[in-house]
Parts: sequence; structure tokens; C-alpha cells
Amino acid sequence: MAGEIFNPNPVVFSPAKASGKYSDLSAQSLWLRDSYEESDGEDDGIEEIDQEEIFDLIRAIYDPEHPNTLEELRVVSAPQISVTSNHVNVEFTPTVPHCGMSTLIGLSIRVRLLRSLPNRFKVDIYVKPGSHQSEHAVNKQLNDKERVAAALENPVLLDTVEKCLSNVGAI
Amino acid sequence: MESTERLVRTWMASGRDEEIGEIVSDISNDRTTLIVIVKALGEYLTSEENDLRRKGVELLSLVLEKCPPARLTRQSIRVLTPFYCGKLDDSETIVPALQGILTLVKLPTFGAPEATGVIDALFLYVKTKSLVQSVRFNVYSIIDSLMARHRDALKALGKKFVGNYIALAEGEKDPRNLVVAFAIARVILIEFDISEYVESLFNITFCYFPITFRPPPNDPYGISSDDLRAALRQCLCATPLFGPLAIPVFLEKLTAGSRATKKDTLQALATCLPIFGSALARATARKLWSALKLEIFQPMDSNIEEEALKTTQILVKTIYHEEEAAHEHSEDIAGLARDACEECIQILREPEKSMAKPATKVICAFMATTPSVSRYTVSLAVPHFVKLFLNPDEAANRAPILHLLSDIVNAARDSVAGNVAEDVPLMPYKDEVLGVFSVGLKASSSRLPTLSGLKGLITTKTLLSDEELGFIVHNVDEIIEGGTDALEESSDEILDLLTTIASIAPHHIEEQTLPLLFRMLPDVAFSRDAIKERANCWRTLSALQTLCVQPELFETLVIRLTTKLDLVCFPANGARVEIVDTEPNAAYAHSILTTISNTLSTKVEKSHPDVGKYIERLVPHIYNLFIFSAFGSDEQRLLASDLRLVHVAGKIISLVVQTLPPQRQTTFSIELFKALLDGQVKGVSQGHQKIPSDRKFDVLNETTQKNLLPLFTAAITSLHKEVPLPVVDLGRFLDSILTWTLLQADNGPQRTSALQMVSSIVNKKVDELSSFLSDKLDVYWPQEVGDVTRPAESRHRAIQSWLWMSKALIVRNHPLALSFSERLFQVFDDEAVGWDAAKACGEIPGTDTILTKRNHAVIKILYSQKYVNTILPRLMEGAKSSSKSNEQAAYLVALTSLIKSTPKGTYVHEMPLLIPLLLQSLDLPDANIRCNVIGTFLAVAEGETPSKSLVSEHSSTLVTSMLKNSMVSEMPTTKVRVFALQYLGLLPNIVRYDVLHPQKPLVLRELAKVLDDPKRTVRKEAVNARTNWFKYNG
Repeated sequence: MAGEIFNPNPVVFSPAKASGKYSDLSAQSLWLRDSYEESDGEDDGIEEIDQEEIFDLIRAIYDPEHPNTLEELRVVSAPQISVTSNHVNVEFTPTVPHCGMSTLIGLSIRVRLLRSLPNRFKVDIYVKPGSHQSEHAVNKQLNDKERVAAALENPVLLDTVEKCLSNVGAI
Repeated sequence: MESTERLVRTWMASGRDEEIGEIVSDISNDRTTLIVIVKALGEYLTSEENDLRRKGVELLSLVLEKCPPARLTRQSIRVLTPFYCGKLDDSETIVPALQGILTLVKLPTFGAPEATGVIDALFLYVKTKSLVQSVRFNVYSIIDSLMARHRDALKALGKKFVGNYIALAEGEKDPRNLVVAFAIARVILIEFDISEYVESLFNITFCYFPITFRPPPNDPYGISSDDLRAALRQCLCATPLFGPLAIPVFLEKLTAGSRATKKDTLQALATCLPIFGSALARATARKLWSALKLEIFQPMDSNIEEEALKTTQILVKTIYHEEEAAHEHSEDIAGLARDACEECIQILREPEKSMAKPATKVICAFMATTPSVSRYTVSLAVPHFVKLFLNPDEAANRAPILHLLSDIVNAARDSVAGNVAEDVPLMPYKDEVLGVFSVGLKASSSRLPTLSGLKGLITTKTLLSDEELGFIVHNVDEIIEGGTDALEESSDEILDLLTTIASIAPHHIEEQTLPLLFRMLPDVAFSRDAIKERANCWRTLSALQTLCVQPELFETLVIRLTTKLDLVCFPANGARVEIVDTEPNAAYAHSILTTISNTLSTKVEKSHPDVGKYIERLVPHIYNLFIFSAFGSDEQRLLASDLRLVHVAGKIISLVVQTLPPQRQTTFSIELFKALLDGQVKGVSQGHQKIPSDRKFDVLNETTQKNLLPLFTAAITSLHKEVPLPVVDLGRFLDSILTWTLLQADNGPQRTSALQMVSSIVNKKVDELSSFLSDKLDVYWPQEVGDVTRPAESRHRAIQSWLWMSKALIVRNHPLALSFSERLFQVFDDEAVGWDAAKACGEIPGTDTILTKRNHAVIKILYSQKYVNTILPRLMEGAKSSSKSNEQAAYLVALTSLIKSTPKGTYVHEMPLLIPLLLQSLDLPDANIRCNVIGTFLAVAEGETPSKSLVSEHSSTLVTSMLKNSMVSEMPTTKVRVFALQYLGLLPNIVRYDVLHPQKPLVLRELAKVLDDPKRTVRKEAVNARTNWFKYNG
């Protein structure tokens, strides 16, 4: 790990409860489902990929500096994600404006989405405007295909990214 | 004499075990003696030739090893010991001599003088550095034996022994020897006078710390690094004299070490500190704390953090334990605890920052040390948080403050757990804390931590008064009343809190919370589109279900909910509006019944004694409602016409009837059968609804009433086997029910219900039914199933009857059981019913809700094992060798359904042969079968590792098949796709990298398509599977 710690004592927020999809879904039925009865739910409805689902994909990524998730540090949040038919826009907020880990955080988000979203989506990742001193450079780096690919060729860097992604499937 | 000489000579030439055996048996049978052997060996023992001398001693040692101990007298030992000691001097004979000594020292006749002799000789002649491991091992074993049997003799040797031993053991490296050496060292450290040798002993023990040894793969000696670590730790903590030398070593290892070293060091410190003593702990406290602090505030992982906290606790305990009496009632304290606490409070001025969490952990850890430290920390921390909470500048941070405060409250509770006599440390602050929590409860952001804190207060024994509990209930009720969103966010925690109070003081819940909740339930169901209101109503019901488990609360629940049920199903005349859409009402009634049934089920699991009494009120009430409903007008038939309602009502009846004693069941069953067979319902039904006396109740024949059969099945299947059934001829009764299922039943659930009744009766009364059963085998089967001219539908129903009768026999291991299942094979090749029979054949041993212990069914252990052992080989054979394709498919169907319905243990030994067949059945077009097969693969995968995997050789086929089953274009059933993806994601964990890695690019590419599945659940599994494959690297 890098010698310098950019933010030794960041504010930690308690995570929101897992998204309350259960109540939305079951409320559409008239019948109270018994816990033992499994419903097949074989309707043909298409469930589109939405903001919530993408947030679920990235909320459990670890911060490279702390044993906390990006959600706990409010680096990412659901309202900062927008989805249209083939386009995903993710905005994230570094904990401090001089945070040297921002690119790494952005890269972790990119790798996670690269692996988890269908190819048809174009993914843009931006630092929240005004939250970072070298905002422009970070944004450019994160959205340049070549540079992302080159970064992932670097085994040390990839290893660090894998560490951040070590527990992403927990939710 | 001569034979001994001959044997000795032969052995010298051959070295075979046979001669040794013969010599030993000669000794045992008094045909020769040790003296004779030594004499026979004479020339070899003194021979000039090294090899002969060595072999001579070896022979003697081998004989001794095998010789019965009784033959080795005091006298012979007195001779043999010096003999062997002499042989230690000779580099050729030292190896067998040590072996001989090892045998001798273990003998009961081996005395103290010999012990001294052996030790002296060992120290004199043995140079451990020039010996190989196995020989050194013998040296340690000898000393270990002497230590165990002749410790006093060794002690008598005085300091000389310690010094010599140190020289002997120095530089030992082999883990096998070290385990013994550590054991010896511990005894020396504890029992011997070591004052002059502390430093040398320190050197020969601490040089091994920390243990970094890792056993080689497939280690034949079975020594793990944990064994070594434990043995060494026993040495490290053996004497307080090590203390001043050890602490710097520990500190150094802690700061510089790796993860494993840190953990080892922390644990070693925790064991050693109490032994090193409080003076040393006090002197080194500051240094230790600054090292420990680092591990707590910037931990490498949570494990280390936890160990560091434990060690800190022990440090504090060690320091303050002695002076505890002096601090009896003072709150002030000096030294480490004070400094560390103040340091933490300093950090806690910013409760929202990430350092606050570990700081609180430290404070919580301190609470569980000594009472005086605990008092001191509470007096510092609690007022600090209260003040912070009330500070208007910190208003934004109230949630984290409450979080930390509730951690403290819970730790304070645990610190006195099980020690009621002690005064409660929180007592002086409870009013303030309660005040803070009652404010915290009001804001949604701080509600969760507050609830946890309140629970901490409630569960602290003797802390809160009854009024204060009432106050808390009142506050919580305000949230429930205030709005539904609040309840949605934190309903689990709120209920948890109320349930906790319900178990201490139920009257508060009964007086305050229940009326509130009941008020929230409407008298008429919400209309179809009132989604939000309905969700709230369900939440209210689920809250009631959780809260009303206590007997008195449950009674209230039953009274209120059954009244509600009357209102919902049969609205009073004034309120009767034309209800066009009756389904919402039916669904509402269903949810009310489900609430009662779930609560009852919880009570049954906890074996509450009050369940049985509900046979008097609740059960008759339910019969009353349903029977009345069956007679009613269309909209009143709400209850009777919906099978879901009947089903859950049946569950309630069954739960109550199960718990009754046989006598009560007997009187009940008389009334039950009167209603079932004669239409006299008075005995089972009581309630507000007046059942018309002019119309006949005939559950088996009236179309509007047939749906009520499950209510009777539920009661009958719950009876004890000794309860007599009031029918004239049991066999004829069952026959009539079977015929009813074939001809009169209107739908599947009615049929199943009837068959369950038959099954339960057959299971419990099989002794009275032998002619009934033989009639089934000889007449029923050929007529109803075997006869191909019958309509397929009817044959299918008959197979279902067959399934349920077979189940009844199988679970009790009845001799006829296999004859029943045997019949099914006859129709495997039948176009019309082959698959039905095959499925049934597999389903026979499956568990169900009827033939259960709770229902007093006769169940033998391992019945399914027995069935599988008979049927499985046959099915496998059939699936492999059958020539007709439809018959082969039927075998596969039976196979998959059998595996689905039995536990993994019953078939796992056949897995290598089963896998190809299972793969074959993945091509069957039935989605359910595919589900079963993949489910089986998933079950088998549990506990598999790459080094030992059954599916390894089939992995590429599996990958292809799973990929196919995970594509929405190929497999429309969501569940199959989910299962296939789960298994696909699991494969990298259970198959070796070198076998599976060629599939990686394919899997990643194909899974990219599945990421776009229309179903969210499938996408989630696809993401997990794909992530796992990305991580799959050699």
C-alpha cells in the first residue's frame, strides 16, 4: 500500500438497509405469501436494469485506504447513478479533494461494471464536480478506453483493484 | 540354549523379524532367558568389527522392545542399564543402545538409581549435533520418560542437570523433536531451580518464537504448526522470570511481524502477561499500549484487531487486579486505564469519524476487565456522549453518537452478565441515557442505533423499573402510530425490542401496543389497487405474529383476530354493500388465518403448554366459519370456495390437534367422524354463525362442500396411532375414499387431501389393514393402473394413490413396502403413464408434511437409506441398459426424482457412476427435472475441493450444459437459469485450475450475454458467476 495516507480519519456513515424491493414486489399481489411456499414468478415481464441495481453492484467495493465500503464513506450513492437505455453514468465523491486514490476508486468501479453489465452499455465515470482538485485529469483517465486497458495490464495495479473488489458479491 | 544360539546366529546373518519373534516367544514361554541371549551374543558384542557390534546391540534392543514387561525383572534391568550406558560411548552402538534404553525407561521396574545413571551417561556421551533426527528423537523421548517417571531423581541432580540439558537441546531444529523438547522445557522451567540459567533457557525457547514452520503437504508425521505453537507457548509462559527478557521480544515481533506473527504474538502476550505479573505489566504498560493501540486503530484485519483488544483487556486486568480491593468504591483510577481512556475520549470528540469506532471498542473492552476500571470508563464515556448529544453544534452527528453510546450500553450490560450481585455500572446514568434515547427515537436517521441501545438497557438485569419499561413501550408505540414509513425502515428492530419487553413485562405490550395494532387492522379488505395500505396491513399482522407468542398475548390475538375474521367474511347487514370483487376479502381473511397459524407454529416449536386448550374455542370456531360459508350465498362462500384459505385453516387445526393427548383426541375424533360421515356438525363446530339445520352437510358429495375436506384431513392426520377411528370397517372406509379420489373429487388439491388421509391411516393402522393392502396389490393395481384401456387421466390418479400408500409403508419399513414400489416398474415403458410412475417411484421416500413425527406417524430411522439402497442400483442399471428410449427416459426421470427427494448422504457413494446419467438427464425436456439435476450437482458440490472432486473429469461437459441452461433463449424457466448459473459460478471452487482453465474464455464470453437476462435474479447470479471466473487464476 502506498506510504502516504490521504485521509486517515474519514467520516463513516451507516449504510442504508438493502433496497426494499421485497415490499414493492409482494404488494402487487393480493395474497400474503407463506414463507414455505415458493412462488415461481413465471411471468414474462422484463425487469430493466435500473439505478438501484447498478448501485447494488458497486456499493460493496472497498476503499483502497480503509476497511470501509464506498457506500459507508458515501463515495458512491444511488442518486449519483443514472441509467438510460444503453448508457450508464456514475458519479462518485472522493472523501477529500486531494485524494490520490480517486483514480483507483474510479478504476475499481469501472472494472466491476465492465464485468457485470452487458456490453451494450456505455459506462461513463466522473468525479463529482468540484470535489477534487484535479477533477479533469481523473475524469479523462477514467473514461479513456486505452488508458484503462493499459492500467489493467499492470499486474500490481490489477491486484490492488482485485483487493478492492474482494467482497463485492456480499449484497 | 542351543536353539537360542542358533536363532541369534541366523539373525546376525538374515536380520529378519521371524527370528526376533521366535526368541521373544521363547522368553515368554520360559524356554530361554535374557542372560542366555546376552551370552549367545557375547562374541558379537565385543567383536572388533563395527558392524557386528552394532548388530549385536540391535538384536538385544529389538528383543527387549517386543519382550513382555513381566520378563524384565528388577535384576535384569539393573544389569542391562549400565550395559547400555556403556554402549553409548561407542559411535557404532549408540543408535541401538538408545533404542534399548528407551524401552527400559518405560518399564515399571526401572528405578531411580538407573535413571540417574542413564541421565549421566546421556549427558556424558551423547552429542546431539552429530546424530540424525530419529536418534535425537529417542534421546528426547528418554528424557521425557524420565521426567514423567523419575522427576525427583532428576531434581536431585540439581543445577547440573539444567545446564547439561540446555547444552543438549540447544540448536534443535526438527519440529517432531521440538514438540517433545518443549514439553521437557516446560517442566524444567516450572519445577527446577533455574535461577542461574534463566538467560540460557530463555535463549533456547524464545529463539523459536514465532513459529513459522509449515508442515509439508501430505505430512506423514502429523505435526501442525498449531501443535508447535501451543507447545512453545506453554514454555514461554512457564515462569515469571522470563518477563523482563520477553516483553522486548514480543514488542519487536509485534511491530515488525507479518499477519500470522502479529496474531501469534498477541496471543502469546495474552497468555504470558498474567504470569509475568502485575509489577512488570505496570512497568511496561505504556510501551505495550502504544504497540497494541496501533493494532487496534490501524488493524491489518478484524481478527488481529480482536486479538489486540483481548490482549489489552488482559493487560488491564493484570495491572488492576491486585489493587481492586483498594478501589472498592472510588471512581478514580490512575495509570494506564486512565491514560488510555482519556486518549479515547479525545478521539471520540469527533464521533462521526472512522477512528471513533475503534476508540469505542477499546472503551468497551475496558468495561469487561475489573469492576473499578469498568466504573471509571463508564463514568467517563457515558457523560461524554450525553453531553455531545445535547450539544446543538453536534446535532448533525446524533446518529453516530447514538451508535457509539449503544455499543457502550451493550458492553456495560455484558460486563456484569451472570453476576447479578454486582452493582450495575450504568445505574447512575440511566435517566440521562434514557432521555437521550427517547429523543433519538424520534428522528428516523438515529432510530436504528437507538433501538439497539434501548435493547441493551432492557436486557441489563435490574436496571430499569416497570414504569421505565412502560415509558419505552410508549415511545416505541409513538413510532408505530406516527407513520408507516418509519415502521418499514426499522420494523425488525422495533419488533425485536417489543418482543424482548414482552418476555419481561407482557402487560405493557398488552395494554399499550396490541390495542394500537388491532386498531390499525381494517374491518373490510382494502380494494385491489390500495397496494400501500395492504402492505401496511400485512406489516401490522406480521408485527402481531411476532409479538403475540406469550400465552396471555396469544389469547388476546386469537380473540381479536377471529372476531375480525367473522366481520370480514360475513359483514353485518348494515355494512353489506354489493361487493363485486371478493378476492381482496378472501386474501385478507387468508392473511389473518396465516397470522394465527404462524404464531401457533412458533408456539408449538417452543412447546408452549397452552396450545392444546385452543381445541375448545379456536378449532370449533374455524369449523363453524367454514361450514357456514359452504352453505352460504355466493359471496358468503368466500372461505369455502378458496382452497388457499382451507389449506391454512387446516394447518391451524392440525397444529392444535397434534398437541392433544390421545384421550382428548379420541373424543374429538368421534365428533369429527360424525361430521365427516353423517353430516352432524354440532360436535365440531361452534361459533357466531348459525348453521342451517334444514340442509345436509355432506362433505364428500356436495359440490360446494368438497373443498372442505382438507379441514378433516388435517385433524385425522394429526391423531395418535392408538386413537380408534369410529368407522365400522376401516378397510372399506379407505376403499371408499380411494374410489372418491378416482371418480368424485373435483380438483387436484381435493384428491391430494384425500390421499394424505389414506396415507396417514395406512401408516398408523397397518396392522388392521392386511387384507386391504393385499387387495390393493392383487386387484387395485392391475385394474386401475395396469389396465391400458382405462383413460390415462384415471390411471394417473391411481398412480398418485399408489404413491401415497407406498409412502405410508416405506417410512415405517413395512415388509410390503417394496412390493408396492415394485409395481411401478411394470409401467415404466407405458407411453401414457410411464413418466408418472417413474416420478412417483422416486418421490416415495421424499419428506412431506403429513407423515411426520409431529403428526405421530410411525417413522423408522434410515428408511430412505434403505429404499435408496434397493432402488438406486436398479434404476442406474435400467437407465444404462434399457433398449426402449421411452423406458430409458422413464428410468432417468425416476433417478432424478429419487435423488431430489432423498438426502445427499444416501446416494453420494454412487456419485461417480451417477454423474454420467445425470448429465444425460439434463437433456430431458422437462424444466423441473433439469432443476432437480442441477440442484443435485449443487448439493454434491458442498464440501468438494479442487484436490478431491467428483465432477472434475466431466467439467467441460458440465460447463457447456450449464451455459446452455443459463441462456434465456434456450431455457425459459427462471429457476433453471438461476440454478445453472449458481453451479457454473461454483465450478472454479471445486475443479482444479489446470483442468478447467481452458473453459475460462468461453465462459466469460457466454456469460457476458447472460448479463442482459430479462430477470433481475438471473442477472445477479450471472454477475456472481462471472466475477468468480474472472478471479479464477492458477
